[in-house]
Amino acid sequence: MLPEFELLMPRTLPEALEMMNESSRVIPLAGGTSLLVDLRGRISRPQMLINIGGLDELRGVRVEEGYVVVGSAVTIADLKHNVLIAKHGQVLQQATRVFANPLVRNRATIGGNLAYGSPAADAAPPLLVLDAEVELTCKDAKRTVPLKEFITGVRETVRHPRELVTAIRWPILPEGSVGVFHKLGLRKADAISVLSIAVMLHRKNTEDYAQVRIALGAVAPTPIRVTPAEELLSGGPLTPEVIARAAQLASESTHAISDIRGSAAYRKRVITALVKRLLTNLAEGTKEKKHNESEGYHS
Amino acid sequence: MTVKGKTLPQVDLPPLRQVGRPLRRVDALGKAVGATIYAGDFTMPNMLHGKVFRSSEPSACIKQLDVNKARALPGVACVLTADDLPDGKLITDMPGQTGQERRKGSDAPVLAARRVRFVGEPIALVAAETLAIAQQALELIKIEYEPLPGVFDPLEAMKPGAPVIHVPDNIVSSWKIRKGNTEAGLAAADLIVQNTFRVPFLDHAYIEPEAGVAWVDDQDVINIRVCTQVVEHFRSIAQAVGVPHNKVHVRGTMIGGGFGGKEDITVEIFLALLTKETRRPVRLAYTREESILAHSKRHPFIITHRTGVKKNGRITGAEIKMISDSGAYPYLSPYVLLYATVTSCGPYRIENLKVDSVSVATNNPFTSAFRGFGGAQAAVAYEQQMDEMAKALAMDPLEFRKINYLKTGDSNAIGQEIKSAVWLEEEAMQALAALGEKETISDDAIKVGQGFATTMQSYGRIMWFHDTSRSWVGIEQDGTVVVRCGAPDLGAGQANSLCQIAAEVLGVSLTDVTFYNSDSAVTPLAGTTTATRQLYMSGNATLKAARMVREVLLDHAAEHFKKEPSNLDLADNKVFIKSDPEQWLSLADLSKMCAADGLKLQHLALFRAPFTDKLNPENLQGDVFPDFTFSAHAIEVAVDTKTGEITVLKSVGCHDVGRAINPIAVEGQIQGGSAQGIGYALMEEVQVKDGVTRTPSLSEYLIPTAKDLPTTKAIILESGTGVGPFGAKGIGEPALTPAAPAVANAVANAIGVRIHDLPLTPQRVLAAVDRAKKG
Repeated sequence: MLPEFELLMPRTLPEALEMMNESSRVIPLAGGTSLLVDLRGRISRPQMLINIGGLDELRGVRVEEGYVVVGSAVTIADLKHNVLIAKHGQVLQQATRVFANPLVRNRATIGGNLAYGSPAADAAPPLLVLDAEVELTCKDAKRTVPLKEFITGVRETVRHPRELVTAIRWPILPEGSVGVFHKLGLRKADAISVLSIAVMLHRKNTEDYAQVRIALGAVAPTPIRVTPAEELLSGGPLTPEVIARAAQLASESTHAISDIRGSAAYRKRVITALVKRLLTNLAEGTKEKKHNESEGYHS
Repeated sequence: MTVKGKTLPQVDLPPLRQVGRPLRRVDALGKAVGATIYAGDFTMPNMLHGKVFRSSEPSACIKQLDVNKARALPGVACVLTADDLPDGKLITDMPGQTGQERRKGSDAPVLAARRVRFVGEPIALVAAETLAIAQQALELIKIEYEPLPGVFDPLEAMKPGAPVIHVPDNIVSSWKIRKGNTEAGLAAADLIVQNTFRVPFLDHAYIEPEAGVAWVDDQDVINIRVCTQVVEHFRSIAQAVGVPHNKVHVRGTMIGGGFGGKEDITVEIFLALLTKETRRPVRLAYTREESILAHSKRHPFIITHRTGVKKNGRITGAEIKMISDSGAYPYLSPYVLLYATVTSCGPYRIENLKVDSVSVATNNPFTSAFRGFGGAQAAVAYEQQMDEMAKALAMDPLEFRKINYLKTGDSNAIGQEIKSAVWLEEEAMQALAALGEKETISDDAIKVGQGFATTMQSYGRIMWFHDTSRSWVGIEQDGTVVVRCGAPDLGAGQANSLCQIAAEVLGVSLTDVTFYNSDSAVTPLAGTTTATRQLYMSGNATLKAARMVREVLLDHAAEHFKKEPSNLDLADNKVFIKSDPEQWLSLADLSKMCAADGLKLQHLALFRAPFTDKLNPENLQGDVFPDFTFSAHAIEVAVDTKTGEITVLKSVGCHDVGRAINPIAVEGQIQGGSAQGIGYALMEEVQVKDGVTRTPSLSEYLIPTAKDLPTTKAIILESGTGVGPFGAKGIGEPALTPAAPAVANAVANAIGVRIHDLPLTPQRVLAAVDRAKKG
């Protein structure tokens, strides 16, 4: 059963920010799919929660000044069906399809998934390869932090206690970008990831890739970008040799964790295998697209 | 594996009108619309809420326990510790029986007094006005432990000098089979194959956590409404609480799954103590997390097979060693071990057999009954061993098994003659034929494999328990029928089967039958819903009772029609002359006529299983079980050799159920057993480290979802040779037993190498693939 707590119910964002400003001990509640579980399990015992899940200002997906902007209280289920996400964030949409289960997807929010600071947050790797930023708002100020700097440790973020995560945004992708997400769990649905991976390619010309981005979830204390492998791959063609080397490098450069879902050694093995597989599939997919100019399979 | 079409043995079963039809179950509508009331749904006026304070230590002395603050909390009605209890023990041995020997000193205390032996062991009980106050009271209980050395591995626990859980030593139980001359058998072999297999702790993960409500009535009877597989625990509850047997009344509810986890006492004694103390109704319902902490687990086993075989495929002898982890208290460990021992070599003729099995106490969670009851663990080992032997001989796994299968009239590992049909070969062929060709997947990293397993699982209890069941059948004056039988319904259709049997015998429709069940005082005692015994035991008792009513009806109708009773029949709510069905009388009129003549239209029947004496545990030769169900399961998997992920593509279960009383219910059992078996093989494991469960909720303890399971094709065969009603055999446990080893064999077939430990996690698969590459 839930322990007792006070629940603040702001009707508007300014009202919420005012309430947040009054105390540094107020914990934001959106979907509650992680927070309420912790409360029930007595893992955390906040005295006061503020329900921001219903605030209109935190809803909606829009394109604004070259950015895709997603309100922090947009649910995973909303993202799964959103046409703008289908167009500008397909790699994220792939993750929403394997995110927990339909019941959780209906409640869980994109902002909550990131602000909870779990290393296994399935929305994080896709947003990392989209170069997403997190918008943080307090009563008198607003700031934007790159996602890769936002989560700093297991359940730790740079969010100040008086700030709310109000939006997630990322620059609209250049033409010819492709991305893919893969989740490895101990069962086919409703499982915490053993490892999740997102890969994004930006094409420079017919042969070369301007940029390759790779992100991993559930392998380290935070979701991470795999910079050494990205640097090796960016700028040139994706030959089988360079893919193999990058896959090896991705594994070697990651300080993998061991937990009940898998050992560090297993995770390192699978990083190599999946980086290789996803890069190969993406490179072949874009080649095919070049040949027959068909629709689909772009981010 | 090649499977040619094979025709089944021809069996002419007598035609029946209600039995054998896929009728909608009597309990189906309530479940579908949410009208069924479960134990956790009941509330009462003036009711208190119970909570249990549990040990956080796996092995410790309780130095100090202070409940004064909890008692003083406003709204707390009572706090009970071991000091407040009568000297009752929680009897952990086989329930509902008489005169069984128990290992002295190892029954569990109701509440731990000075020593705790596992994490989750109950120490104190609280009853309060609200759940929140009860919870708060738990947090006010002060306890100081002095940790003692613990032992968490059965192999360690057997060594001299290991911490002793219960004096004199950690050996909870052991059994031996000595048959023929094993040394000579192994010496005569062309090839000896040795493997060690391990299976993990499992949680039952039923959808309904344990719950109940209890009150004291005006006769001073403690009433307990609870979800339990065993209403006959009322005797043990009475003993533990210190009241006469007839002052405890267990009212079982429809159960949201049990699988053996509700076979032992769960919340009953706590409820009885709290209501006795407060004289107020008390509710106690576990959360999922508490359920995982509080109830038994499936036994982990370490099983070693050393089998000798001739080049022609004939097994010459086998040596089998089994070690199970009984956890901190014995519960049903000796009997689980007995089942494992009896089926250790599977449904194969092995003349020279030596089996040594032992169950060992540790400071791990206690282990007890779980669908398959040791027989399932044994099957995981023997069916993998059979595939390994076939591989070593370069023989087809089915051809190899065919050479060694038991046949009707053969005697099994313990020298018990198998009297019913043994259709293993036919079942395997049917299952493999239904599986069909392997799917082709173009990706080189994905390997597809097929495998199967054939198993034997007993139904009915150990014969030296002298098992009995009672059922009462009556016909009302409008021709409707009532069945009263104490059998608890797990949700598997136990009550429905009894109704369908009564409907058959009395010539009415299933919808004309109403049942009352699972009540220790009001319905005739029918024994436990465990051991795949209810259809066999209570089915036979109901059949007997219904036939007694039928006899009265036919005798009276015979006078009316001036015919012999044998010339009459009952069907469609009528009695009629067989040779001239136009001459009939409604059952309603016939019942009224019988009532007017003062005839007995209600009968209570007793069914007794065959009784034997306890076997000599030093060689185990004799009869142990009334009969066995023989089964096959076939599986096709795809294995990703780069990530170790396994996808089950196809699943077929084929079982000779003797006679399907209700084919829908039988298929339900096969589907459910298959799902549970696939979970056993692929993902389920209660991970325990130093006595602490690392999978404390359903977020860590994974069971298969719809996405992990293909629809299992259920093939139902009917030999008509079982000892249940109308020749039925049991299907509850047998449905699960072959599924897990079939998955393991399919995976080994896919990747070309054996993984000896369940579950087959991606990590283990990848390690095996590496081994194969090096190999």
